[in-house]
Amino acid sequence: MSECTETVTEIEEYDIESEIAENDNIFYKIKNMIRTNKVAAISGLLIIFIIIVAIFAPVFAPHDPYAIDLLSRLKGPSAEHLLGTDELGRDVLSRIIYGSRVSLFVGLVPTLLSMIIGTVLGLISGYFGGKIDFVIMRLADVVLAFPSLLLAMVIMYTLGASTFNLFIALTIINWAGTARVVRSQAMSLKEKEFIEAAKSIGVKDSVIMFKHLLPNCLPSLIVLFTTNIPGAILSEANLSFLGVGAQPPEASWGLMVNNGKKFLFTNPIVALAPGIAILIIVLTFNFLGDGLRDAIDPYMKE
Amino acid sequence: MAKYFFKRILIAVPVLIGVAFITFMMLNVVPGDPITVMMREHVKPDVIENLRKTMHLDDPAIIRFLRFLGDALRGNFGISYKLSRPVTDLIVQAFPVTIKLASTAAIISWIIGIPIGIISAIRQSTIIDQMFMGFALFGVSMPVFLIGLLGQYTFSYKLGWLPVSGFESWKQLVMPALVLGWNSAGTIARLTRSNLLEAMKNDYIRTARAKGLKETGVVVGHALKNSLLPVITIMAIQIASLLSGSVITESIFGIPGIGRLSVDAIQGRDMPLLQGSVVFATALIIFGNICADMLYSLVDPRIRVE
Amino acid sequence: MIRRKLAILLTAAIIMLPVLTSCSSSQTSAPAETKTETEEPQAAEPATTDKILKIASSDNPATLDPQKTSEYYREPLNIYDRLVEAVTVDGKPELVPGLAESWEVSQDGLVYTFHLAKDVKFHNGEVFTADDVLFTIDRMMNPNTAAMNTDFFDMIKGATEVFEGKAEHVEGVKAVDDNTVEITLEEPFAPFIANIATPGCSILNREATEAAGDQFGIDTSATVGTGPFKVDSWSVNEEVVLVANKDYFKGAPQIDGYTVKIIPDAETQRMMFESGELDVFDTSEARTQVPYFKSNPDYKDNIISAPEAGLYFYAFNNSMEPYSNLKVRQALQMAVDRQTILDTMYDGEGMVLNTFLPESVLGHNSDAKEIEYNPEKAKELLAEAGYPNGFEMEIIQVSDSATTLEMNEVVQSMMSQIGVNVKITQVDEATYYAMRKAGEIPVYRSSWWADYNDPDNFYYTFFSEKNAVVRSTCYNNPDVFAGLNEARTMVDPDARLKYYQEMDNIIINEDAAILPMFQMNKIFVVSDRVKEFHIAWNGWSDMSFYDVVIEN
Repeated sequence: MSECTETVTEIEEYDIESEIAENDNIFYKIKNMIRTNKVAAISGLLIIFIIIVAIFAPVFAPHDPYAIDLLSRLKGPSAEHLLGTDELGRDVLSRIIYGSRVSLFVGLVPTLLSMIIGTVLGLISGYFGGKIDFVIMRLADVVLAFPSLLLAMVIMYTLGASTFNLFIALTIINWAGTARVVRSQAMSLKEKEFIEAAKSIGVKDSVIMFKHLLPNCLPSLIVLFTTNIPGAILSEANLSFLGVGAQPPEASWGLMVNNGKKFLFTNPIVALAPGIAILIIVLTFNFLGDGLRDAIDPYMKE
Repeated sequence: MAKYFFKRILIAVPVLIGVAFITFMMLNVVPGDPITVMMREHVKPDVIENLRKTMHLDDPAIIRFLRFLGDALRGNFGISYKLSRPVTDLIVQAFPVTIKLASTAAIISWIIGIPIGIISAIRQSTIIDQMFMGFALFGVSMPVFLIGLLGQYTFSYKLGWLPVSGFESWKQLVMPALVLGWNSAGTIARLTRSNLLEAMKNDYIRTARAKGLKETGVVVGHALKNSLLPVITIMAIQIASLLSGSVITESIFGIPGIGRLSVDAIQGRDMPLLQGSVVFATALIIFGNICADMLYSLVDPRIRVE
Repeated sequence: MIRRKLAILLTAAIIMLPVLTSCSSSQTSAPAETKTETEEPQAAEPATTDKILKIASSDNPATLDPQKTSEYYREPLNIYDRLVEAVTVDGKPELVPGLAESWEVSQDGLVYTFHLAKDVKFHNGEVFTADDVLFTIDRMMNPNTAAMNTDFFDMIKGATEVFEGKAEHVEGVKAVDDNTVEITLEEPFAPFIANIATPGCSILNREATEAAGDQFGIDTSATVGTGPFKVDSWSVNEEVVLVANKDYFKGAPQIDGYTVKIIPDAETQRMMFESGELDVFDTSEARTQVPYFKSNPDYKDNIISAPEAGLYFYAFNNSMEPYSNLKVRQALQMAVDRQTILDTMYDGEGMVLNTFLPESVLGHNSDAKEIEYNPEKAKELLAEAGYPNGFEMEIIQVSDSATTLEMNEVVQSMMSQIGVNVKITQVDEATYYAMRKAGEIPVYRSSWWADYNDPDNFYYTFFSEKNAVVRSTCYNNPDVFAGLNEARTMVDPDARLKYYQEMDNIIINEDAAILPMFQMNKIFVVSDRVKEFHIAWNGWSDMSFYDVVIEN
C-alpha cells in the first residue's frame, strides 16, 4: 500500500488541468518499462499471444476439445495429438487452447468488476468519510478477514458451481483490497487545494470524485489490476481443482489437472500440460505486474 | 496507544459476528440439509424427520443463528454433524498441526524471500535482479496443487526420500512446508525489495551518503534496518495467505489441520464445524493484523497509529 | 569494484541471518523432533515384524455406533457381532450363525426364535445375554437415539410404536431366558434373517452403551462390542487404530490389529501402498489404476478380486416430461453402448446387466431379455414419441465425483448420436439429495450395493410405492407396487424369487423404467505379507478382517 501515499505526494504538484499530462506520463513510463525491462516486455507479448489464441481458439485448436473417442483414450503425444489424449479420448492440446478462454475470462472479468466496485466504494468512503466510511470499511474488514479461498468456496457452494458464479465469488473476495487503497488515496487527496477549490465553487461531489479524484488514483489502479489478475486465475484453478469451480465439459485448466492426476503415473502429460499452462499464464501476468509496479511507482526510480 | 488497540479489538467482535452471520446465512439459503448428506443413498423420510427434530433443524435460520451465537460466546461451537463430536475439540486438535505447518512455511518463506529481496534491491534492474525476482515469482505463480503433486510424485514416490502422506515426523513436514513457503516467499521478496529501495531514497540516507559514508555502510546501517522492520511484521499478515494456502496443501498431503477440517465441513454441509473453523480462522487473521500493527508501532515509534 | 564485493559479502551475511534465526527457533521444538526421529524408521518403512494390517480410507467414520450411520460399517463389522453373519462360502454368499447359534421360524413366518451363544463376553468383560438383544432393538427404535437404521427393525411388532414415542419397549421382542430370544413380526417378512445380518443390526451391550450415552461410538474406550477387534484410538483426519480381541469367542484373530489411515486422495493412497506405507490398496476410487497393477509383475499375483453385489444404473424420472413417455425411455435404453464403456473405461472388469439384480444376489435372472445397443432404432422410437429432433436432457450429479462425471460425459456423447442433447449439472451433495428426495431429478447415474442378500433390498428401494418418489424414479405401476408389498410376505422361497423375476421383466423390459448399466469387480491389491484376504460377499470396501493373516 506504500505506493499510494507516494503517488499522492508526487501528484501534489499538479493541478486539475494537468490530469492529462499525468496520463501521458503513465504511457511514457510504460514505454520506458518496455525498453528497459525485457522480462516484463516479453511477458506482455506472451499475454497478447495468449489472448489471440483464446479469441481464435477454433482456428488454433487441431481438434474438437469436447469430442469423446473412447477407443483412443490416454494416447501419448503423437503427430495427430501433440499432447496426447485424456481419459475420454479428447485432444489435450485442443482442450488447453480452449481452456485459455476460461483462465483469461476469470482473470480479467472478476478483476475488472472487483476493481470497479472497489474503486467506487473506496472513493465514496474516502471522500465522504464519517458513517458511510465506517460501514464500508467494516464490510471490507469482514471480507479481508476471511481466508479468501474459504470464502470463495462457501460462496460457490451457496450459488452452485459454474463459471458465472465464479465471477461473482472472485469479485466478492477481491473488491475490499482495492477499496482500501482507493480510500486512502481519496482521503489524502481531498485535503489538497485543488479539491478544496473545486468544492468551494460548488462543483458536484460526484464530479469531484470521478473527474478529479479518480484520474489521480489511476496509476496505482493500473498496477493493482495487473497484480490482481494472476491471483484470480490461481483462485479459479484452486476452486476447479477442489471441484467447485468451472464445470465440465468446459475445458478449465484446474479441472483438467484434477481429472488428470489419476494418470500421473502412466500418462503424466494429461495433468502436467494444463498445470504448466496455468504456471505460464500466471507467471507472465506476475512479471508484467511487477514491471508495471516498478515503472509506475515513482519512488522506485529516480 | 493502548486505547487504540483496545478499540481495534472491540471492533474485531462485530467483524467476527459478521463473518459468522454471512457464512451461516449463505449456507442456509440453499435447499437440502446436512442429514441427507449424512445418509446419502439411504433416504428414509421418517428417520430424516426424526433427526431434523433432534437437531433443531426445523427452527427458523435466525433463531438457530442466535442460538449458535449464544453458545459460541460461551466457547461452545456445538457438535459437528458429520463427526459427532464437539467442534471446539476438533479445532483444538487441528490447530497445532496447522500452526506447525504454517510457521515452518513462514520461516522457509523468509529464508527464500528476504535474501532475494535484498539482492534484487542492491542490484536493481540488472539481470541478477530479474533472475532472483523471477525465482520468487515462480513460487507465487505455481499452483499449490501442482507443486504438491509433483513433489509427492518425485520425492516420495520416485525417490522414496520422504513419506507420501501424514504428519507424524519432521520428514512429513518438509514437503508441504516447502510448497507453502515458496508460495509466499515471492510476496516477502517483493516487499523487502521495494522497502529497501524506498529506504535508500530517503533523505537521511542521502544525508548519510553525502556525509561520505560508504554505500555498504549506508545499506547496512540505515536502509536495511529501516526496511526490514516492516518486513518482519508481515509474518502476522502472512497468517491469512498461509491459512488459505493450507486448505489445499493439507488436502493433498493428508494433514489433519484446520484447512482440511473446513473443506470437509463445506463439502459435508457441516454447519457447526464450518462456523467454528471460519470464525476461528478469521479471529486468527484479525489477531495477526492487530499484532502486526502493534509490532510496527513498537519498532518504529515514528509511525502514528490512526 | 569494492562496492560490488561488499554487496556480495553483505548478502551472504543476510542469507545467514534467517538461517541462524531458524536454527534457534527450531531448537525450542527440538525435544519433540528427536522423539519423532527415533520413531521415524518405523514410519518410513514398515517393520517386517509387526502383525498390524495397515489400510487407508478416504473419509473419517462419522461414528463407530452402528445404529447412527448408514455408510461407515468397516469398524462396526469388526467391533461387533450380529445374531446372524453374512459370509462368503466357496464364492457364494451364505448366512451363518453369529451370536445366535441356531434359530427357528414359525410356520406362518411371524415368530423367530434365536438360541444365543453362551460365554460370549463384551470387550468390557460383561457377559452377552438376551437382554442385550432387547436393548439393541429398543435403542434403535427409540426416537431420542436419533438412529439411522430403524428400517432394519421396523417390521418387528411394536417397533413403530416405540419410534413414535408411544411405547418404551418393542413389544415383539422377548427374552425367554438368558440365552433365548423370541422376535415376533408385524407380518411375515421373508428377508428377515438376511436383514438382521447387516452391520446396522450389530448387537450392543446394555451396560456400556447406556453409560456412554452420547459418547458411544465416539469415545473409543466406551465403545465396546463382542467382535474380534477392539477400538484403541481414533484421531480425526489421521487414523483409527484397532487391536485384536484375544478373548474373541470364535478364537482370537490371526493379526494383532489393524490401522486405518485417513487419506482423502486415491492417488496418495496408491503412492503410499507402493512405498510400503499401506498393506492394502482399494481400487474402488481409483479404477484407472487397475491396468497398471494387472500388468505389473510385482503386483499381478497380489490382486484380489470378486464380483460386487452392486450395480450402476441411470434412473429416469418416470413422471417427468419427456421421460414419462415409454418410447423415450426405451430409446434412451438403446442409446448407450454399455459394453464399450465397461471395456474401455473399466478394463472389462465386470459384467453388463439386463436386470436390476447383480449376479450374486438371490433371484438374479441370467436369462433376462437383452437391452440392445441400437442408436438407429432409438432415433426411430424418439420420432414415434414425437421428438424427431431429440430434446434437452439434464443429468444431475454431485459436484465432486469424478467417476460419475466421467461416465456422464461418455453417456452425453452417446446420447448426442440419437439427437438428445445432454446437459450435465453438478450440484453439491446436500442439494442433490434434497432434489432427489423430492422426486425432482430428471436423470441421474447412481449405484446400489446389497445391504442384505435379497431382491427386496433392490426393488423395494427403488420401485415401491413408498420409495419411488424419494429415489426420483417416480415409477408408477400399481401392479408392481402391490407385487413388491406382497413378495415381502411370501413364505415359499422359490415362488418368491420367481415372482421377483417377473416383476424385474416388467420394470426393466416392459416399462423401461431405468437403465441398468453393469456390475463391476471389486479389486484390492495387497502387499506380499497379507494372506487370506477375502472380499466380503457383497463386495463392499467395508469388510471384516477376522480371517486375514500376516506372514512376515
